[in-house]
Amino acid sequence: MAEPATDFTLDTAQVLAEEEHGASIVGRSPWYLAWRRLRRNYIAFIALFVFVVIAVACSLAPIYAHHIAHTAPNATHTEDIVNGKQVLSAPVIGTDAQGNVVVEKAGGVLGPTWWHAHGRFVLGADGLGRDVAVRLLYGGLNSLKIGIGSALICVMVAVLLALLAGFYGGWVDWIITRSFDLIWAFPVLLLAIALGSALSINGFHHFGISISPHSLWIPTLVISYVYVPYVGRPLRGQILSLREKEFIEAAIGQGASPLRIMFSDLLPNVASTALVFFTLIIANNILTEAGLSFLGAGVQPPNPSWGTVIQEGQERIISAPWLTLAPGIAIVLTVLSLNIFGDGLRDALDPRAKVRVEH
Amino acid sequence: MRSRQGLIRLLSVLALMAGLALMTAAYAVSANRPQSSVAHTKSVGTFRAVIDTIDYLDTSQAYTAQSLWALWTVYETLVTYRHVAGAAGYQVVPGLASLPKISRGGKVYTLTLRKGLKYSNGKPIRAADFKCTMKRDFLTASPGVGFYDTIVGAKKFETSLKGDIGGIKTKGRTIKITLTSPRGDFLTILAEPFAALVPCGTANQDLSANPPPASGPYKIGPNPDKNRGFSLVRNKYFKPTKYIPRGTPNRVDVTIVGDADAAVQRVISGQADYTNAAIPPERIGTVSNRGQLRLRKSANTYYFWMNTRVYPFNKLKVRQAVNMAIDRSALVKAVWGGLGVTTENILPPTYPSYRKLTLYKRNVAKARQLINQAGAKGADVTVWGRQVSDSQQSTTLYASYLSAIGLKTTLKFLPRSTYYTTIGNSDTKAQTGWARWLEDYPHPLDWFDVLLNGRNIVHENNNNFAYYSNAKTNRLIDGLKKPPALTPAVNKRWANVEKLIMQQAPWAPWSNRTFPEFFSKNMGCISIQRLYGIDFMKVCRK
Repeated sequence: MAEPATDFTLDTAQVLAEEEHGASIVGRSPWYLAWRRLRRNYIAFIALFVFVVIAVACSLAPIYAHHIAHTAPNATHTEDIVNGKQVLSAPVIGTDAQGNVVVEKAGGVLGPTWWHAHGRFVLGADGLGRDVAVRLLYGGLNSLKIGIGSALICVMVAVLLALLAGFYGGWVDWIITRSFDLIWAFPVLLLAIALGSALSINGFHHFGISISPHSLWIPTLVISYVYVPYVGRPLRGQILSLREKEFIEAAIGQGASPLRIMFSDLLPNVASTALVFFTLIIANNILTEAGLSFLGAGVQPPNPSWGTVIQEGQERIISAPWLTLAPGIAIVLTVLSLNIFGDGLRDALDPRAKVRVEH
Repeated sequence: MRSRQGLIRLLSVLALMAGLALMTAAYAVSANRPQSSVAHTKSVGTFRAVIDTIDYLDTSQAYTAQSLWALWTVYETLVTYRHVAGAAGYQVVPGLASLPKISRGGKVYTLTLRKGLKYSNGKPIRAADFKCTMKRDFLTASPGVGFYDTIVGAKKFETSLKGDIGGIKTKGRTIKITLTSPRGDFLTILAEPFAALVPCGTANQDLSANPPPASGPYKIGPNPDKNRGFSLVRNKYFKPTKYIPRGTPNRVDVTIVGDADAAVQRVISGQADYTNAAIPPERIGTVSNRGQLRLRKSANTYYFWMNTRVYPFNKLKVRQAVNMAIDRSALVKAVWGGLGVTTENILPPTYPSYRKLTLYKRNVAKARQLINQAGAKGADVTVWGRQVSDSQQSTTLYASYLSAIGLKTTLKFLPRSTYYTTIGNSDTKAQTGWARWLEDYPHPLDWFDVLLNGRNIVHENNNNFAYYSNAKTNRLIDGLKKPPALTPAVNKRWANVEKLIMQQAPWAPWSNRTFPEFFSKNMGCISIQRLYGIDFMKVCRK
């Protein structure tokens, strides 16, 4: 009796061919096979869909701000009246006979209007009269830029260093791994805060490079720098083991240059791992960016990011909880969707696990 | 016999009536006694305070309201302020010495130390200690040295850090201070904690961890930590006077808690009796029901300075435009939930020389016009602020107002510890930013001479952030240093100086803040000293 076609093996291919009435067996690339595995993972696709929706919504922030909310992310409207309510109202304070303060009328910020104000203040206003929904979208745009950008830089640098360390070994490997250790010795968040705080004051103006303190490059580069060892070390280990394989020896024996071996033989074998790392570390970096911005060491005010929006709303967490809930939920959804998709991608791309199961 | 019995009977009745009358009188007195009287209040014992920050516990270095709030009761000055609420609290009264005899046209101050004074270590307080204290201030680069550089020989000592300050002479219990020129505010300067006596031989370094012996009603307890907390205990060698009471608490425990919510929660939960935490505006309502919330109007002004030496604020029209563009009431509402009053003045309303100015009515359209006329549209402006919540909020709003009138703004926030030194360094060329001033002593010179006299601009640690220098107002300020008292005529002259300066608009003042002070429900006898805040020496428990 034919085995059920659950896992991909040579036997399965045979069975499939028989089922297809004698159709010829066509070889499939590992990427295609991975894609087939992935597309069966509906949860991963839902997660990807959620992330894409968030990313598209954030990228449409300028259109939303201009055409729907009719404001800018940093524009303040403290004295505006919306639906008969003041955007920012102060409490009315009196004193009793003993001289103690008595609040006769509580103040506060405008709550969510939920489209009842023609697109203005859909999610309410913050403490400076700014539109929360607009800042949420612009903040998401900045957070995603930093998250994706730093992940890209981190993985590219980590792959490059891992290739060099793994292929050459010896003193090259020693220098690179000791550098990883040096960065790894610091608690990653504290290191990021220290670097972010220092660079956010005066920027970076060395070695012919000039980056203003308000530039998003500062948090992007800081975050990518601190996470390089976390990606580089596992990749280096993988490359070290691949380096001993026969096909590498054969390539060396054939006289292939180190660059060719690294990029044509080694890199494709770690590409799937790097891709999984890339996806997972975007989520990690978005969280780190939110933390840094919350602490004042990431995106600098008045520029919004999800972290700064939370920080600005924390003082009003009791009277206006939506100021912190909205960006918090956005971060949760983004990070969760990326993690779920990353897990699905790893399950689809990781042939080693399947081989191990076979044996 | 019968008459003798009658006499005894009569005397008995009279005695009974007298006794009844006395009891009735005693009852009437106690019934009419105010609630804070001893008969209706409990002993304070330990007064537990939660404060947001302390910079130093050394009078030569301490320069924040919170530090001085504590140190005022520990280190006495030659003259001091009354421990009363209201305007009377500004009156200078004898401290360790008598009020001075002022002679030679206001240049010579002669004071006499009270007899039998001792430090908390039992050693006598000597007149010579005043000179040692002044020299120590210069040797430790105290932030207050600028107040005393009119003493003869002080400037020379400040430069060389060697030798003597010839303008201070002591003999027995007499202290004679000679100034280079008269200063109408010198009496109030003598009451500054920088001039609080410490013994000769006190180390010339920050002694916050091991404070010098006290001369006031309290001394600092063992192992103080300015970052975590300290205690004040009674100084057994202190003798109360008419103006300096003994203090009702036996002990004051001060805990440093930076987070306002945590500080307030401690008071609500009964772990503390008082906090000066900056309660977030929307929590005022909930907090006020769970304790006693008082509002303290201290003499302060919050303002945005504009560097008159740097483009575009070197143009008068730009500075005037900024004053017209900012929405002062919105700032007060957004930053402090309405706990403050708007202002266009430099001086706060607590000053007798205050005359309300209304030079710049809000008009954004006109402000834009002025910017265009000045040719400053699109000018790049960096707006500086401190990394503290209220400064960040107000600076962000301020930048939005500048953007609205056509300036291109970038915000720059610095940590609290480096902000003033950075903007006060002329090399920074900071264009505009946030600042505030809380009075050091109740005299207009503390404002105009320190913050707006062009002759006092220095390269580092400058306080005139606007780098404002106008020959006419400089001359007027210098001229007003001489009058010894703030008479109505002198106050009118100060008001004129203020108007002239604000017409040049080096600042955009926006508010005089009101500070919330939160007490637990069982605290009574709450008294707010105008200069030093809550006077814990008078508190009691209900």
